[in-house]
Amino acid sequence: MRRVVEGSHAVSHAVDLARVRVISAYPITPQTHIVERLAELVADGVLDARFIRVESEHSAMAAVIGAASAGVRSFTASSSHGLALMHEMLHWAAGARLPIVMAEVNRAMGPGWNIWADQTDSLSQRDTGWLQFYCEDVQDVIDTILIAYRVAERVSLPVMVVLDAFFLSHTYEPADLPEHADVDEFLPPWEPVEVLDPAEPRAFNQLASPEFYMEFRHKMQQAMDEALAAYPEIDRAFAARFGRTHPLVEHIPAEDGARAPLALVTTGTITSTARAALAELRDRGTPVDLVKLRALRPFPQDEIRRVLGPYGRVAVIDRNLSFGYGGIFAQEIRAALSSLADRPVVYPFVAGLGGRDVTPDTVRAVVDRALDDEPPGDILWAGLKE
Amino acid sequence: MSPVTLRTSRDLPPTSRSLDTMEWNHTGSWRFLRPRYQDKVAPCAEACPAGEDIARVQMLLAQGAFDRAWLRIREENPFPGVCGRVCSHPCEAACNRGEFDAPVSINSLERFVADHARRQGLAPPPAEPADSGRHVAVVGAGPAGLTAAHFLRRAGHDVTVFDAREEPGGLLRYAIPAYRMPAEPLAWETGLVMSGGVRFQPGRRLGEDLGWDELSRFDAVLVAVGHWAPAPLGVDGEDLAVDGLALLEDVRRGRPPEVGGRVAVIGGGNTAVDVARTLLRLGAEPVVYYRRRLRDMPALPGEVAELREEGIEIQTLLAPARIAARDDGGLDLALTPMAVLDEDGGQRPRVVPSGHPEIAVAVSAVVTAIGARPSPGTPAAGLDPDGSEAVALHLRRIRPRGEWAERPPVFLAGDLVNQNRTVVAAIASGKEAAVVIDAALRDRALGDAWSAIRVGRKGAVSLNRLAGGDRAFRLDHVVRYDDLNTIYFQYLERKKRPRITLDERRTGFDEVHLRISASLALSEAERCFHCGQCDHCDNCYLFCPEVSVRRDPRAETRQIDYDYCKGCGVCVVECPRSAMVLEEEPR
Repeated sequence: MRRVVEGSHAVSHAVDLARVRVISAYPITPQTHIVERLAELVADGVLDARFIRVESEHSAMAAVIGAASAGVRSFTASSSHGLALMHEMLHWAAGARLPIVMAEVNRAMGPGWNIWADQTDSLSQRDTGWLQFYCEDVQDVIDTILIAYRVAERVSLPVMVVLDAFFLSHTYEPADLPEHADVDEFLPPWEPVEVLDPAEPRAFNQLASPEFYMEFRHKMQQAMDEALAAYPEIDRAFAARFGRTHPLVEHIPAEDGARAPLALVTTGTITSTARAALAELRDRGTPVDLVKLRALRPFPQDEIRRVLGPYGRVAVIDRNLSFGYGGIFAQEIRAALSSLADRPVVYPFVAGLGGRDVTPDTVRAVVDRALDDEPPGDILWAGLKE
Repeated sequence: MSPVTLRTSRDLPPTSRSLDTMEWNHTGSWRFLRPRYQDKVAPCAEACPAGEDIARVQMLLAQGAFDRAWLRIREENPFPGVCGRVCSHPCEAACNRGEFDAPVSINSLERFVADHARRQGLAPPPAEPADSGRHVAVVGAGPAGLTAAHFLRRAGHDVTVFDAREEPGGLLRYAIPAYRMPAEPLAWETGLVMSGGVRFQPGRRLGEDLGWDELSRFDAVLVAVGHWAPAPLGVDGEDLAVDGLALLEDVRRGRPPEVGGRVAVIGGGNTAVDVARTLLRLGAEPVVYYRRRLRDMPALPGEVAELREEGIEIQTLLAPARIAARDDGGLDLALTPMAVLDEDGGQRPRVVPSGHPEIAVAVSAVVTAIGARPSPGTPAAGLDPDGSEAVALHLRRIRPRGEWAERPPVFLAGDLVNQNRTVVAAIASGKEAAVVIDAALRDRALGDAWSAIRVGRKGAVSLNRLAGGDRAFRLDHVVRYDDLNTIYFQYLERKKRPRITLDERRTGFDEVHLRISASLALSEAERCFHCGQCDHCDNCYLFCPEVSVRRDPRAETRQIDYDYCKGCGVCVVECPRSAMVLEEEPR
């Protein structure tokens, strides 16, 4: 069913479609619309789930950890400082191998107080053991929530579905809302292998001594590898049912069958802007290929090397910053490419922090600088008032 | 359990967890503190001289179990309909809710329960046969005498109540005005005492129609004839004044005096307030003259407030000096201005003439209400510290000497012995009399029993405890505000008691306070913290990190599984109402 949906509400309806049974969340701008709509769906009896009210994000995550431990499909959502408060529990959810899905609305960290789009909040959670998928538009949000549950339950790891504050969370777009029956086919009920059952008490997540700990971590890495391996198959299954595909690395050449001198890598909503800006540049005789990167973890290193390796130049736009280094996606890409003997020059741009608009002009400026003879450097600021 | 030997990563489960049940691991053995469910004493129950189980009554009320709430009160007090109207309700002053927002409206709720019982025609369980073979005479059918009679009868004794007047009730029937204590609810409750098997002999005034020859044929005698004799004013022209109690009695007998114009009421106690408000309703313009200040008035603050609402003037620091007849049939009242001399120990201050010139007022009548003295016929020995001894907080016994040596044991109760002459203190006195006389008749020494039946530290006793009822198992600890975990309570406005209009109050004797509705009673009862009483809120169950609180919802019981309870104490801390204790684990 095609409908005009707000990005946040797209999350809520996808959660309904996924037949989530337990929701626990604490409101924070710009995530609030997601949980408000979910609360309404539960209160109206549309969604047969328990909505557990809590006093903090830490408790929200603890509550869904409890629910998932008991074998129940669970959901939460947060943003920025709320996500930061969850940090300890994020490790716990992953270490306990619980397939929780969280919607994370990218919002800048304070101070200064800022509620606008910035990826530093989710990227700060890079090493918690969560999968992270970044969304481009409202349709992407709906589809990714459904895919996320399937991946999470396949490999027993939690997944963060990330969407930009306001540019996506508060934007209405026409999108296709799948039918329950179709989603049920794609995403059958979760069949947990081991659940916490009070009737048969066991010790869960207890002490893991040096004799055992490393093997548990190894298993988590194996699960990440499995997620990477299984993703194309799951994406194909999704495409077969719904006619849409969401590869972890999407390659969009300016001209079919040709390789442009520059590839531009984007994540999140900047991709949409880049699609339009690059189409215009192509028409004016400057072809630039676009690469939409969807995952931070597991990081699709082979795919990155396969897609970007042949280019002479690669520009990356990061709406985030690792202080003392630079843009985080660019860092990951440079690391992945470093094993190639022959590798492109990477131009790591930082733009749009704290919700500053990344406009077609910004994209054009980035392209100009990468194609010009500017030395690549370790950090290139785009749109900075110097 | 055999140790797991790790050879490869595949031997391990995906996360660190036991491969089998851990029930063998009795983590309770780690415990050095032991939580336990333990009901305690609520401060309202301690403050109630009648020792009513108030917090439990509120719990029953909030559950809609009105009948059980009524029976629960009657375990300790046969007069909830009386106390729900005229009690000084010290329970509310002690209510922990008072430190939170405002005390629970316990008095209104007691009235509600009693009115419910009367309207529904509830009947208490029938008394056991009077098979002790002992006969008790109770002289005086006021609240003290009737309470004693009620409980003595239920203890298996044959009880006869004598009273000088025609109907039982004492001051409740013949002094307290009908706008506070209507006849019908009183008659219903005294009727329940009588229908429980207590015999009543009206028109038997001690010393006139009732003598000690007759009383000596009983196995024990309780004298509770109250204070009906007027106290002398001690001023010239005193004969021209009217006794306030006599006036109130005339009105309650349906013989209201002709009054009009300005009437002086001398006094500051409840009788003075009752007299003034009665005079207003009869069409006079009463003025209360009191020798001390407003704040020193011994009358109940609520009564004083209502008197002032009704527009009655109170003149303070004025003592009567002289009453003289005027030619026009009226009176001249001379008043001496007074000054506070000192204030010692929170008692009423001493006052002395201030030295200012006398004030003269012209009034149509002067009514005195400066306190009363023991009724005629009261044995002098009973009031004499040499002739009698205190055997309980509100009870004296005449020493068996002289003429009393040949007589059965004689006790004095009620206003005759009470410092605090309230209805509820009279009821407390009657309860003590029942306990002491029953023990005496059964040749049982009370000894340590007092400490076993007391409710807190203020002197109240519980007949439920005496009988080994559930209250006997409560810890003798009064729950204070700091014992509560008030984070679980919401601020809720105390319900106002509905009243008739001011015009209705000024012109008639209709009851001022209306009964609260059942829905109001339910929501007001829900305000109660249930201090020290488990009300199955399940906070313990929700918070126990070891899942060691076992719940049987049908039996409404909770138990701690000590096999696994590690003694963290979270349940005790999170109990909102201090109905648990944490004790050192016995080793």
